[in-house]
Amino acid sequence: MILGVLDFQTLTDAVGLGAIYALMAVGIGLVFGVLRLVNFAYGQLVMAGAYTLAYTSAWPLAASILACFGVVVGLALAMETAVFRPLRGQSPAVMLVTTFAISFLLQAIALILDLRNGQLGEVAASLTTLAQPISIAGAQVREITLVELGVAIGALLLLALLLLRTTIGLHTRAAASDFRTARLLGVRANRVIPASVALSGLIAAAVAVMMTVQAPLVTPDFALRETIVVLVGVVVGGIDRLWTATLGGFAIGFVSGLINGLLPTDKTVYLPSAVFALVILVLLLRPEGLFAWGRRAAVPDRV
Amino acid sequence: MAEPAVELESVEVRYGAVAAVRGLSLRVGEGEIVGLIGPNGAGKSTTLNAIMGVVHPHAGDIRLRGSSIRKRSPESIARRGLALVPEGRRIFAEFTVEENLRLGLASGRKRNGGNPLDRAYELFPVLRDFRRRPAGALSGGQQQQLAIGRALVSEPEVLLLDEPSLGLAPLAVESVFEALRGIREHGVTILLVEQRALHAVALADRTHVLVGGELRLTLNRTDAGDTDKIVSAYLSS
Amino acid sequence: MRRALDALVQLGVPALLVVAVGLVATTVSASNKVYFENALVSVAVVVAIYVFVGNSGVLSFGQISFVAVGAFAAGVMTVPLESKQGVLSTLFPLLRDHTIGNVPSLLLGAGLGGLFAFVVGLPLMRLNGLAAGIATFAVLEITHNVLQQWTKIGPGATTLSLVPETTGPLQGTVGALVVIAVAFAYQRSRLGRQLRASREDSAAAAGVGVHVHVQRLWAFTLSGALAGFAGALLVHQLGSITTEQVYLEVTFLTLAMLVIGGLTSLWGAVVGALAVSGLDSFLSQAEQGVHVLGLKLDLPSGTRLVFLAAIMAVVLILRPSGLTGGREARLPWPWRRG
Repeated sequence: MILGVLDFQTLTDAVGLGAIYALMAVGIGLVFGVLRLVNFAYGQLVMAGAYTLAYTSAWPLAASILACFGVVVGLALAMETAVFRPLRGQSPAVMLVTTFAISFLLQAIALILDLRNGQLGEVAASLTTLAQPISIAGAQVREITLVELGVAIGALLLLALLLLRTTIGLHTRAAASDFRTARLLGVRANRVIPASVALSGLIAAAVAVMMTVQAPLVTPDFALRETIVVLVGVVVGGIDRLWTATLGGFAIGFVSGLINGLLPTDKTVYLPSAVFALVILVLLLRPEGLFAWGRRAAVPDRV
Repeated sequence: MAEPAVELESVEVRYGAVAAVRGLSLRVGEGEIVGLIGPNGAGKSTTLNAIMGVVHPHAGDIRLRGSSIRKRSPESIARRGLALVPEGRRIFAEFTVEENLRLGLASGRKRNGGNPLDRAYELFPVLRDFRRRPAGALSGGQQQQLAIGRALVSEPEVLLLDEPSLGLAPLAVESVFEALRGIREHGVTILLVEQRALHAVALADRTHVLVGGELRLTLNRTDAGDTDKIVSAYLSS
Repeated sequence: MRRALDALVQLGVPALLVVAVGLVATTVSASNKVYFENALVSVAVVVAIYVFVGNSGVLSFGQISFVAVGAFAAGVMTVPLESKQGVLSTLFPLLRDHTIGNVPSLLLGAGLGGLFAFVVGLPLMRLNGLAAGIATFAVLEITHNVLQQWTKIGPGATTLSLVPETTGPLQGTVGALVVIAVAFAYQRSRLGRQLRASREDSAAAAGVGVHVHVQRLWAFTLSGALAGFAGALLVHQLGSITTEQVYLEVTFLTLAMLVIGGLTSLWGAVVGALAVSGLDSFLSQAEQGVHVLGLKLDLPSGTRLVFLAAIMAVVLILRPSGLTGGREARLPWPWRRG
């Protein structure tokens, strides 16, 4: 019955959304791993990237995308130096609430910049051709969905290689697992943490590029809602490990995509309640994370 | 007289209002093995943590070859040639044995040529056999060997060990102490914290008894047979 | 004697501060009065949140749900009957055809807030850390969704207006004082002390027979009741309200107030609420131009939020334990000895 209405387009859109959310989950999970900090301002990195794309849309495409990556990584590193570093070792509540403040600050600044021309919102339209549907084996698929999938899978593979095969990756994993011991062995906090933050910035920039294709109108609250949903997904999946966090992000994106595609809008008014009731249920049944199999309660090790 | 490898001068470490180590002074000469024994809560681990920069002393100074390290971070102290084998081993259970050893190279100290992990493999051949296994699958004794091997691959000048025999079967204890003798042969200076007082006294050039955060007594290797002396030092608190 | 004096100071100093704010509110112009009333209601909301978050050490993003329930219950039940049947015609007949007075509506807000918190807390108080944070956030989402869609219990997505504006300086002050007094009584009671002990070390507290789950449930329920009460104060201050006004932004802002003041003390909750509300009011004025110490301060319009967020971030970075350091109010040094 469900399969009857589940067309190929809906399925691929859901997978595409899951891929974007999975990438955001990696960005959030990486920083959480080394700092035990939930970065609520992660969405504003994406927002900054989207504005950069909008303001540089007259530039050649490659330059525009490069500018987006530059701005987002720069902003992420600035956040690390000015905010995360002084807060290292503080209680999770203080760190989280500070990132709320940073999130509001960046939105307020974006609002002022955006309103200079007297109207809210800027359009990042350089890549919108990717939103056109193309035909694959008789089924209609929007090109961006394929790009999303390609970029997400490529980024995740690269990241896995980086973490599993390089020395900095080994140090990062060690820092995420037990920072105190890692430092005793000579792993430098001031190298591993900025590296992770920069990496999470790279991912945010890639997400900005993909999200503006789907939704070219950029406003100060761009990616805010998505960040909240991904945070929920990350905790539901299991924030203590990168791969469970990533799966959690993918799952919540995929499920949202499916529901949006399957249910007519007049039936979805209580959908958020149903979804969040499910979230509560999962948290009650598996508080360590839906995908965290056979894992003891994590002992957070702060720097 | 040559500069001692490690020197503590009137070191005081406090946790809140409680002083864990009070006015502690001690020297570890180049190539020596010095033992540190004492009852639980005497401040032995705190002393090692203070040397390693995990906690910073409130007063006094800690010097490595004459230069002060009291305000440095653990990673920079590791870089200067100190390595700690922490209490409870603290291996990365989900990483492979080889990855654990490679983490020992994180201090980035200059090394002679060849595979840097060979040092650990020579001393503990079992680690080479199991190098692709997750470290958590090793036995307790093997995990301790891994923790010591991990500290050694960075070719430290000074090795600090925090109760390496804790929780090990008698046979494994013997092999750990055997390994320490081998490490001394290589000219590594060792500061050893132990609960097994007799083992420590028999191995070390000197063994200090720490009670209530203060040095109580110093024992020589010849005191190893004098159980009464050791016991009374423990109980004099 | 000494302890009684300490207790008197811990309750008296925040209470006097609130009374002072209330008194100033009666002397200023009508257009400025709203800032002071706002600050008093903020104190009530933040102290209500503190009762759970501060005492238990568990971060909850759900307490604004109880503010919302209290606000809409008190609002819907006090809209005058003659207008209600016109603008709120979709309500259940019981709600549509009855109306209650000001004080009963405050009690209704408290009762419903407490009941809702108890029902929600029953399963949720087993959770810790981030799982608890996300689960309570889910409660906020569900509450917002239902209030926005279900027009049998409220105005839905439209504005609830025509609520009597009874929260002036007097009701604001008395309301904030009631919340502070209840919070103080709770944290000094056996229940409150046990919960605070579990905040420091939940394993040890469980070891000596403290049922952390039950203790948290008590605090959550009490916090919910106070939040419902504060929500009722809020709706009577504003006169009209939408579901967006008791949702994400206020959740983050009130938590920020609590952390900026000092998460672990009642004094911190009061100071944080007043400091941030005060700063916000000042910046609003500055956007229109104010004179400070002979200098004219005139912020470009739209920069209020930038300054507010930046100052909050700087305070959190420089004083992570909050303006009060998480300590209760004490007499200044010369009087403290002896």
